[in-house]
Amino acid sequence: MTARRSWLDRALERGARRLARRTSRRSFLARLGSALVGAGTLPLLPVARARAADPARVAPPDDRNVTGPAGDPTSCEYWRHCAIDGFLCSCCGGTQSTCPPGTEMSPITWIGTCRNPGDGKDYIISYNDCCGASLCMRCRCTRTEGERPVYYTSKNNDLLWCFGTKSRAVHCSVAIVLGQATES
Amino acid sequence: MSRLGLTALVACYLWLRVAPAVAYTPEVEFALNCQGCHLADGAGTPDAGVPALADSVARFLAVPGGREYLIRVPGVAQAPLADATLAAVVSWMLGRFDARHVPPDFRPYTADEVRRLRASPLVDVERVRASLLAELERSTR
Repeated sequence: MTARRSWLDRALERGARRLARRTSRRSFLARLGSALVGAGTLPLLPVARARAADPARVAPPDDRNVTGPAGDPTSCEYWRHCAIDGFLCSCCGGTQSTCPPGTEMSPITWIGTCRNPGDGKDYIISYNDCCGASLCMRCRCTRTEGERPVYYTSKNNDLLWCFGTKSRAVHCSVAIVLGQATES
Repeated sequence: MSRLGLTALVACYLWLRVAPAVAYTPEVEFALNCQGCHLADGAGTPDAGVPALADSVARFLAVPGGREYLIRVPGVAQAPLADATLAAVVSWMLGRFDARHVPPDFRPYTADEVRRLRASPLVDVERVRASLLAELERSTR
């Protein structure tokens, strides 16, 4: 155990020293400064203002700009799935935004935001359950970005969201883009 | 620590204090915190116990206690939103979903008012709601 820890210590020390040798603290500060100022002034740009006047609903961004699993609707890593908990409808005979035949989409949903790596923007995502058949059991995903404990029921994805549907049986979940999360 | 480093740290801290979270428009806050149940058009799902906002929510403003009820109701009072944001969202909601019933002398909610009302949540929501609706019924008869 002692030998192993000292090996880990040595490796970490080596890594830290290499990092310190290779990076300039001043350039990091300069970059951090411009990032902070840049992030603060971004909402003032005319683009954000024009969007703010728009109703939230926009066409979903093009997934062809996203590479790897983040662009694959059958993957838990798909960018829209940042807060999904359940079976992906895109693996169960539906798509990332439509229910499989024979199931009914719950009107009541839980809603969060996910960042699209293609354009770096945040989008409002609605996670609707498709109800009326037994659990799909394919592509089980649990991601929890922005999820809150169960006492914030409207922000918790462990709950069953088949309310307002004929059946309370959950089959799978979709991730619908409602719009861009415009800042005020 | 160098003076530059210290200045940068203080600047970061102040910046984080002044601009904590992302501030969204009332419409986006509604989508993130209310729309999941009340739906985008405010239709709600009355069958599942979610009252409609559309053409109905601002009617509460016509009876004594109604203005307060709209903030004290659990979904509003417990929303994970700051007082000022919540005041803006509820004021926006009234005009968006039920402009017809907003009285001409309606003053938008203020952060102070919301803070005060949230501090006394409703213990028996159903009873308060029923009595407000009964009062509304009497006054419009």
